[in-house]
Amino acid sequence: MVQFPTAQEKAEPPLGLYVHVPFCATTCDFCAFYQTVPQGDAVARYLESVAAEARLVDWDGRRVATAFWGGGTPGLLRPRELALLGETMLVHCGGTPAEWSVELAPATVTADRLRVLKELGVTRLSLGVQSFQPGLLDALGRQHTAAQAYRAYELIRAQDFASVNLDLMFALPNQSDEEWRTDVTEAVRLAPDHLSTYCLTFEEDTALWVKLSQGKVKLDANKEADFYLRTWELLAAAGYAQYEVSNFARAGHTCRHNLNTWNMHEWVGLGPSAASQFGGWRSSNPANLELWLAETAAGRRAMSDRAELTNDLLAADSVIFGLRMNDGVSVPRLQRRFPTPRWKQAQNFFPQLLLEGLAVATPEGQLSLTPRGRLLADAVGAEILEAFAEPANAAAP
Amino acid sequence: MKPALLTRNFCIIAHVDHGKTTLSDRLLEYTSTISKRVMTDQHLDSMDLEKERGITIKMHPVTMNYPAQDGKIYTLNLMDTPGHVDFSYEVSRSLAACEGALLLIDAAQGVEAQTVANAHLAFAQGLKVIPVINKIDLPSANLELCMRQLEDILTIPAEEAILASGKSGIGILDILEAVVTRVPPPRWTDYPTTRMLVFDSKYDSYRGVISHVRVFSGTFKAGEMMMLMSSEQKSEIKEVGMFHPGMVKCRELGPGDVGYIVSNIKSVEEIKVGDTVTHANKPAADMLPGYKEVRPMVYCGLYPLESDDYEKLKVALGKLRLNDSSLIYQNESSVALGFGFRCGFLGLLHMEVVQERIRREYDVEIISTYPSVVYKVTKHGGDISEVDNPVNLPDPASILEISEPTIKASIHIPNEFLGDILTLVMEKRGSCEQTTTLDGSRVMLSCTLPLNEILVDFNDRLKSISRGYGSMDYELGDYRPSDLVKMEILVNGDPVDAFASIVHRSKAEGQGRALCEKLAEIIPSQMFKIAVQAAIGGKIIARANVREMRKDVTAKCYGGDISRKRKLLDKQKEGKKKMKQIGRVSIPPDAFIQVLKTNS
Ligand SMILES: Nc1nc2c(ncn2[C@@H]2O[C@H](COP(=O)(O)OP(=O)(O)O)[C@@H](O)[C@H]2O)c(=O)[nH]1
Ligand code: SF4
Ligand SMILES: [Mg+2]
Repeated sequence: MVQFPTAQEKAEPPLGLYVHVPFCATTCDFCAFYQTVPQGDAVARYLESVAAEARLVDWDGRRVATAFWGGGTPGLLRPRELALLGETMLVHCGGTPAEWSVELAPATVTADRLRVLKELGVTRLSLGVQSFQPGLLDALGRQHTAAQAYRAYELIRAQDFASVNLDLMFALPNQSDEEWRTDVTEAVRLAPDHLSTYCLTFEEDTALWVKLSQGKVKLDANKEADFYLRTWELLAAAGYAQYEVSNFARAGHTCRHNLNTWNMHEWVGLGPSAASQFGGWRSSNPANLELWLAETAAGRRAMSDRAELTNDLLAADSVIFGLRMNDGVSVPRLQRRFPTPRWKQAQNFFPQLLLEGLAVATPEGQLSLTPRGRLLADAVGAEILEAFAEPANAAAP
Repeated sequence: MKPALLTRNFCIIAHVDHGKTTLSDRLLEYTSTISKRVMTDQHLDSMDLEKERGITIKMHPVTMNYPAQDGKIYTLNLMDTPGHVDFSYEVSRSLAACEGALLLIDAAQGVEAQTVANAHLAFAQGLKVIPVINKIDLPSANLELCMRQLEDILTIPAEEAILASGKSGIGILDILEAVVTRVPPPRWTDYPTTRMLVFDSKYDSYRGVISHVRVFSGTFKAGEMMMLMSSEQKSEIKEVGMFHPGMVKCRELGPGDVGYIVSNIKSVEEIKVGDTVTHANKPAADMLPGYKEVRPMVYCGLYPLESDDYEKLKVALGKLRLNDSSLIYQNESSVALGFGFRCGFLGLLHMEVVQERIRREYDVEIISTYPSVVYKVTKHGGDISEVDNPVNLPDPASILEISEPTIKASIHIPNEFLGDILTLVMEKRGSCEQTTTLDGSRVMLSCTLPLNEILVDFNDRLKSISRGYGSMDYELGDYRPSDLVKMEILVNGDPVDAFASIVHRSKAEGQGRALCEKLAEIIPSQMFKIAVQAAIGGKIIARANVREMRKDVTAKCYGGDISRKRKLLDKQKEGKKKMKQIGRVSIPPDAFIQVLKTNS
C-alpha cells in the first residue's frame, strides 16, 4: 500500500536555533552543563564569535521557527550584551521566531534585562527556581534564595511574556515527600504557564556525583519512581497536562522548540558545547570557550561528535525520543519520513511493550507509553536502539 | 642388610584432634630422628591447609632407630595416614604397609566415629592394634569410660591400653616398647619373588615421580628393571632411599623396609596407589592383596570467576593432578558460566581441598557448580550408563530406573540430641538401622543415607544440632534404585544449564522453590515481567518473579542531550554483550556466581 505524505509533512519542516551562553557566576552542585566564570573580555569575544559562527551556517533561506537561549546563565549578560546577542541572532532568522525562550536564573532577573528581552521579541521565559526551600536550595549549591525567586517571578509577570516556565527539582538528598508536595503547591500557586520538574540526576563530573561515589548520598530508584508518579498526579489535578517525562503545560503553552527537537526536526546550535542537527549531520561545538573561539576564528563549526543523519539513525531516535512524549509517535508517519528496512525488527518489538502494559497503540498506529512505560523510557530506548541496530536479515544466521 | 626381624612397621590411627600429630612428633623426638631444635610443632603435617583443617591429606613415612630394652636396635617405620573417609582407600593402602597400629583415644572425649571406623579398617588389614589412651594429663580425662568403651565398642581388652600424653611425654617409652614387642615383624618376607607395595606417589619437577613403597619380599636396587603388576608397565629404577626423615638415598631396599623409589615413570597416574612392584625379569605371580582402581564419587563444574583465568585454572588442575591421580577433570562449558572443567573427586573433603588449593596456591578465583554424585541409569533396553552431570541424563521416557550411591554412616552423638539427629537423617532420606549406647551419655547410630544428601550441608547441620559434639564417619554402601528426577531452572522459559540438578522427587519442590527465590532475588530488576521457574520434564513445580524495574528514565533530554543519551544507550547495549544472555534476559555473570556461592 502506497501512502502519500500528509499536508503537514509536505510543509517545510520547522527549524530551531539554540544559543548556548556559557557563563555562570558559580557552579551548582548538580550541574553538568558547560559553563565558566566570565573573565576579562570573555563576554565580548563570545558575542563576536557567536556572530561569526552564525555567518558560517548555510541558512539556505530557511526561517527560524523557534529559538532557545540556554546555558550557563544567559541572564548573566548585561542588558546591552543581551540586546547585541539578540540582534546578531535576528539577522539570520528571517523575522522574529514565533517562539523564543530564554533561561534565567532568579538572581540575575532585573527589570532592565527583562525590558531588553521583551523588546527583542522573546516570548517565553524559563526561571530556574528548583525549590522554594532554603535547606534544599543549599543542598543543591544554588546561589539564590526563595525570596529572589518570588521577586524574579513578579518582575517577569509584570512584563507580560506570553509564556513563563518554572523549573523545579525533586528527589533531592533527604527531601521528604511532604517537602516536594509543598514545592509543587507553591509553584502551582504562582500559576506559571509551564512547569518543568526534573528528577535530580547524578551527572558525572559534578560535585553531587562525587558525594554519591563517596557514599554521602544514596540513589533510590523506588523513591524516585514514587516522586515521579506523585508529581504527575499533583500537576494533572492542578490543570497542567504532562506532555513529556519532565514537562507540563497549560493548554497552548507547550514548548515548541523542544517538541520539534524530540520529533527529530532540525536545529542550529551556536556557542560552545551547542549541538546541531542540521544539513544532514548531527554534531557539536567543543565544550570549551577558548577552543570554540579558535574553531570559529578558523572558520569551522560543529565539528565534534559528528554523526550522519541517516534514515537508520533518525528512525531509531524518532522513536526513542518520541516515546518520551505523552503523545508518543505515529509509527506509519515515521516510517514514511525515515524509511529503512530496520523498522521490521522494531515492529517485532512493539507488541512486547503492549503485552507488558508498557505502551498502548491506536488502530492508526499511534504508539505511546503508559505511565509505567514512561518511567522506563531509557530501558525501552535501549531495546529500541538494539532493534534498529542490525539490518532486518542480519540477525538470523 | 639388617634382618627384617628387627623392623616394625606401624601407623597411628585416631579421630581428628585426638593427638596423632603431637604424639608422632614425640616419637620422632624420643628416637632422635629429629632434634628438638628443628622440630616445628606438628612436623608431619606439611601443608598449611592440613594444619588449618587438622587433617592429614598426604602421608609421609618416617624411619626411626630405636634401641629397645632387649638391647637390640630396631628400625621403626611410622606411616602417617590421612584422617578422612574421602581417602579411605589410601588409608587402607597405608595400613596394608604395616603390621601394627596405635589406636589413639582422647581420654577426655572417648571413642568417636573415626576411632571406630579406623579401628575396623586396621582389623580388616590384619594389623595388631595397640590402644593408647592419650591426653591423660587433661583434668577431664575419664580413663574408666575409655577402658569400658574399648571393650564394649571395639572389643579390645582394656588391660592392653597404654596411658599416655603426647603433650607431656607420658607413656612414650611404653608405646615404643609395645611397638617392638606387640607388633609382629614384617610379614610375607619369604614369598619366592620380589614384591613391594606402592602406597603413595609424589611428583617432583626435577626427578619425576617419587613413590613411597613398602617392600614385602626380595630387594630392589637402582639400575634394576621393575614392573608395575596392574599394568605390566616396565621401568628402570633410578634411585632407592629412605626417610630419615628427609629422603636419604640408600643402596637397596629389602624385606620389611619402607622408603621411596624413583624410576623413569613420568606421571603419578601411571604408578597407582595400591599397585604391586616386582622385578621385570622375574615377576611375582600374584599382586599384593587389596588393589583397586579408585573412582571419583563426587563431581562438580569448576569455572574461573574471570574468564581470562581459564588458562591459569587449566594449569592449576594439571599441576594438582601431578600429585593426585584421583583428581580427574575434562573441559566443560556452560551458558551461564563460560568455559571451565568438570572435575571428579573422591569425596566432599577432597573436593574442598582441591578448590581451596586452586585459590590459594594458584591464585585463581573459581566458582563451583552444585556437586553431583555418580548415578547409574538403566534404560528400557537394558543399557546401563553412569551419569555424573545432570546435563547428560537421558530422556526420562527412555529411563527404566535410576540408582544412586548410598553410604553407611556411623554417627556418634550425646543422648539428648538423638531425636533431632533422627529427624535430620529422615529429612535426608536416610534410615537408621541400629542405635548403640556408647556409655551413659552417648549413642552411636548406624544409618544408611544417599550420598547425594550429605554433599551439601549434612555435616554442618550435624555439628550445629549437636552443638559440636556429634561426629560422623562413613563408608560407601551400595547403589539403590530411587525416584530421582532432573530438575531444571528456567529463566523466562529458557533453561540455565549451571543450575540443572538430579534430585529426589520428594525434594524437588522445596529445593526448586529455594533456588528460584534466590535467583529471582539476585537477578537485577528487569523491564519486563520475568519468571524464574523450576521444572521437571517440562512441568513447572516452583516459580518466583524477578523484581520489576520501576524507574529508568533520564530527566532532561534536550537538543544537546540527544547525542549524549544515544552514546549512553549505545554503551548500555555494549554492556549487554558482556552479560549472559538467557533467552532475552541479560543477566550479569556474577548473578549466577552469587547464587552458587550462597547455596554452597
Ligand atoms: N592436653 C593435651 N593436649 C594434647 C595432647 N596431644 C595433643 N593435644 C592437643 O590436641 C589438639 C590436637 O592435636 P593434634 O596432635 O593436632 O591431633 P591430630 O588431629 O590427631 O593430629 C592440639 O591442640 C594439641 O595441642 C595431650 O597429650 N594432652
Ligand atoms: S546556573 Fe545553571 S548552568 Fe550555571 S551552574 Fe547552575 S545549573 Fe549549571
Ligand atoms: Mg594432625
